[in-house]
Amino acid sequence: MISLNVNQKNYRVDADPNMPLLWVIRDIIGLTGTKYGCGVAQCGACTVHLNDEAVRSCVTKVSRAEGQKIVTIEGLSKENDHPAQIAWNEENVPQCGYCHSGQIMSAAVLLRENPNPTDEDIDAAMAGNICRCGTYLRIRKAIHLAAELQRKGSASK
Amino acid sequence: MSTSNISRRNFLRTTGISGAALCLGFMFSSSTEDADVINTGAADPSEIELNAWIKIDASGKVTLVDHRAEMGQGSYQSVPQILAEELEVNLKDVNIIFAQGNKEKYGNQITGGSSTIRGSYKNLLKLGATARVMLTAAAAAKWKVPVTECYAEAGHIIHRPSSKRFHYGELVNDAAKLEAPKDIVLKPKSAYKLIRQPLHRQDTPLKTNGVAGFGLDKKLPGMLYATVERNPRLRGKVKSYDDSAALKVPGVKKVFKVQMGVFKTFREGVAIVADSTWAAMQGKKALKVDWDDTGFDHVNTADIYISLEEKLKVEEGLILKKQGDPETAISIAAKKLDIIYQTPYQSHSAMEPVNCVAHYQGDKVEIWGPIQAPEWVQEYIAGQLGWAKENVIVNMTFLGGGFGRKAFMDYPHEATMISKEMGAPVQVVWTREDDATQGPYRPGFSYRCQGAIENGNITALKFRMAGQNNDHWRDGPSNKANRSTSEGFLKPYYDSIKNISFAEVVFETPIPTMWWRSVYASTNGFAYESFLDEMAHAAGKDPLDLRRQYLTDQRSQKLIDKMEEVSGWKNKRNNEGYGTAITECFSSTVGQVVKVSKNADGRLKIDHVWAVMDCGWYVNPDIVKAQVEGAILMGLGAATIHEITFKDGLVEQRNFYDYKMPRITDMPPIDVFIMENDEDAGGVGEPGLPAFAPALTNAIFDLTGKRIRKLPFDLTKV
Amino acid sequence: MKTSIRFKTKFRTFMIIGIMSSVVATMAFTLNKESEEARVPPAPIVTKDSTASVKAFKQVYTVLMSARCMNCHPSGDIPLQGEDSHLHTMQPRRGVDGKGVYAMKCSNCHQPANTPGLHTPPGNPNWHLPPADMKMVFQGRTPRQLAKQLVDPNQNGHKDMKKLIEHADDGLVKAGWNPGEGRKMPPMSHAAFKKAWITWLTTGAYAPAK
Repeated sequence: MISLNVNQKNYRVDADPNMPLLWVIRDIIGLTGTKYGCGVAQCGACTVHLNDEAVRSCVTKVSRAEGQKIVTIEGLSKENDHPAQIAWNEENVPQCGYCHSGQIMSAAVLLRENPNPTDEDIDAAMAGNICRCGTYLRIRKAIHLAAELQRKGSASK
Repeated sequence: MSTSNISRRNFLRTTGISGAALCLGFMFSSSTEDADVINTGAADPSEIELNAWIKIDASGKVTLVDHRAEMGQGSYQSVPQILAEELEVNLKDVNIIFAQGNKEKYGNQITGGSSTIRGSYKNLLKLGATARVMLTAAAAAKWKVPVTECYAEAGHIIHRPSSKRFHYGELVNDAAKLEAPKDIVLKPKSAYKLIRQPLHRQDTPLKTNGVAGFGLDKKLPGMLYATVERNPRLRGKVKSYDDSAALKVPGVKKVFKVQMGVFKTFREGVAIVADSTWAAMQGKKALKVDWDDTGFDHVNTADIYISLEEKLKVEEGLILKKQGDPETAISIAAKKLDIIYQTPYQSHSAMEPVNCVAHYQGDKVEIWGPIQAPEWVQEYIAGQLGWAKENVIVNMTFLGGGFGRKAFMDYPHEATMISKEMGAPVQVVWTREDDATQGPYRPGFSYRCQGAIENGNITALKFRMAGQNNDHWRDGPSNKANRSTSEGFLKPYYDSIKNISFAEVVFETPIPTMWWRSVYASTNGFAYESFLDEMAHAAGKDPLDLRRQYLTDQRSQKLIDKMEEVSGWKNKRNNEGYGTAITECFSSTVGQVVKVSKNADGRLKIDHVWAVMDCGWYVNPDIVKAQVEGAILMGLGAATIHEITFKDGLVEQRNFYDYKMPRITDMPPIDVFIMENDEDAGGVGEPGLPAFAPALTNAIFDLTGKRIRKLPFDLTKV
Repeated sequence: MKTSIRFKTKFRTFMIIGIMSSVVATMAFTLNKESEEARVPPAPIVTKDSTASVKAFKQVYTVLMSARCMNCHPSGDIPLQGEDSHLHTMQPRRGVDGKGVYAMKCSNCHQPANTPGLHTPPGNPNWHLPPADMKMVFQGRTPRQLAKQLVDPNQNGHKDMKKLIEHADDGLVKAGWNPGEGRKMPPMSHAAFKKAWITWLTTGAYAPAK
């Protein structure tokens, strides 16, 4: 049995320690917001936060995550109100939407580490996430907006 | 088509659980997109809710069936946005659910050809308006006032003189007893409150918190997971297989041979069923299959294009259209061009790999998946099982991209056969590698384009297209020219250029091919619009002026004016290249201008793309813009980054490491403009794609003098 | 005037490098050794032999310029990938510590060990590029440039000879010989590389003429 903490909830799962975290999250725990896109860390659709870092869960063995803090898109915020989520809605970013769990999880790390990202910073953070629908211009806009919302939010606190 | 009242007794009996409701639907005589509204109680009183396309319950909540797939193009938003306009409800009160496959209830459901809005908007407007009129009549009767004193607003009927109001929920009981009126008068465009507004999509919140359910997210109690090792040469048979290692993988339950129908052919594979996706994937890796790959060609990409070019040298092909006498005009012309263009095979590569859940239950099967054509899946599987259609229930989930791939029936059929063997619900997951290597693909083409110029004017165009015809997979006639040989080419040219012909040079391979976003326009557009650019330069004309000269209709002229205005075409500076292309696709016309220059290090960069979309009547300008932006990026990938190639019958690309995708760093700035006019609705999801590649290569020619006639090409090596 | 001063300065620097090049490395070791004398055992004995040294470095160079080594010692701030050393597809940036930035930190994809399968991320617990203040570029360097750079304390993270020798057994260096499925090994074994590396250093760390 492997102990996992996902979205601040403890799970004990009976899984092959070599099983990628992605499939444990999706097939065993049943949280399906984290997506399978490529299986080889090419596309970023499976991005989750492992100890606050945007790891690709499709190549991360569940054993690496044992006892660590895991956050998936479902746990990023309580009310779909992380600045990135608000901005994604405001800028009408998703089309098919399949890649955006991963996009948002990547953007959240960028926004935490850089409250005022430039276009270059956004490129540096987001080039690991593929969007086949081509929403990149809107992702860029939404991250700028999210940064603004985040700054306003922290200023008002 | 007939409508009738429904007795209150029947109504209450059938809707007792959820309370009273007004339910409206359509009666489709065949596959027509124009149908009469019926009070669905009339069709079968015992199935009121099942038949309903629109339902308003006692709380005033509106439920609408989305009969089309939502694969990113926005039907989930634009369909209710249309309905809410005439129904006079707030969009937040509209709940949308996906239809099951049912041609009789919903007409054509195949989500392709950018047809959702252009094929349905008139019906949807009529449906909303009919409900509103019935609710208004019910209110007027309750108040015993003339209907003309009542109006609808935000889910209420209001009596103007007294300001009395009912919310819709209070009226559905009475309205449900009324006959659906005919001759409904629709709002003039000027009165629209929702349509043409850039409203937020209702599916966005679901797509930012992990809630949206895609095919791969479907879970059923007791569901098993399967992968399938399919023949890598696509047409081969299973000779034998060794499953000893696969069966040792913990979690793997069963390994067996499975067939998958592709129209009238069958493809073979070996299924590995397990208790998790991961175990099924491990089992697939451990499986050894010996294939019988005899009886069909093992193609090589280089050979395909050599054959196409050879054929184009000697074959006239099957004529699709011909006016005048292009051969003679070309033979006598003082100046003539004769050029070959080449476009590659492409994979759809939606972010959500192909997958499907099937639950075979002896006398029926229920299917869930990212499905573009639920009614086709229903018909096909029913046909294969020898069942009545009603016993095949096909549910659409959200699609993580489709682009044409998910309009096939192969993967739901395969899932059905695997579930049947297991006697349990099974989700069949295609790995990314399966998705890339198994097709079907956009066919590759070579085009031979000939033209004649006299005194600076075009006197003849002769186009030949050589490549696989998707229709042949569907048993289309092989003695007739591909009906899409001229797709992408603007019709007004026929009025201004006397001699034009289009012909298809027939070519077959064992490779399965299928529609890919914007279909033939995606490749034709490159050839024809590159060639017109070459003709413009040969004739000594500005490429945009050349289009203006030959596209003489007012609609085209306005489009060209807009393109010139927004792009600053006339203000081109030194060291800038401008290119343009205008293509037609699914009843919409898109003109694009691309601007390129060179970086300090000599590398080409795309500075800007201006796209002008003329899609006539439209619903949501923001969705239109998003679709054009996305189509341009998909066009960029197909023109400059990826292609599918074959070696000894095997597909050489397996995943995003060798079928690379454009990333955020590749995205050029794009501005999209929508033409305002009173024309009928055209398509939106696809038409933005075809003009991009030729506009880009035409811009590169403008900057560098280098003509690119073969896609894809490497932008970093221009 | 300004131009000529700048020219003179450049010229002088060039002259010094030209004259001192063969002994720069040794000097550096000496300096470091003196400063750390109390804590560390004596540095390996250097027996100067310019022929043997240059010969050994030529072997070292073939390893360092192989994809397994060079891909993480790029000339820019984005690592390279593949046998052809193309720019890493997702364009991860070096970052200050060499471990990537934001959502693109090396260890987000590169696991503590190689991920099984073809075209999967190779792994190491300490996967990183050289940090921003010590980029240690291999890509594009001639043998001479690289040799000098390797022993220049200002460019090699102030490694003395002992530390340089130890570096041959660094976990990430050795990861070059455990490249994951489908990747080519460096052109010689790690033992042969280490031997050549030590030979080069202990014969005076001479730089080839070009």
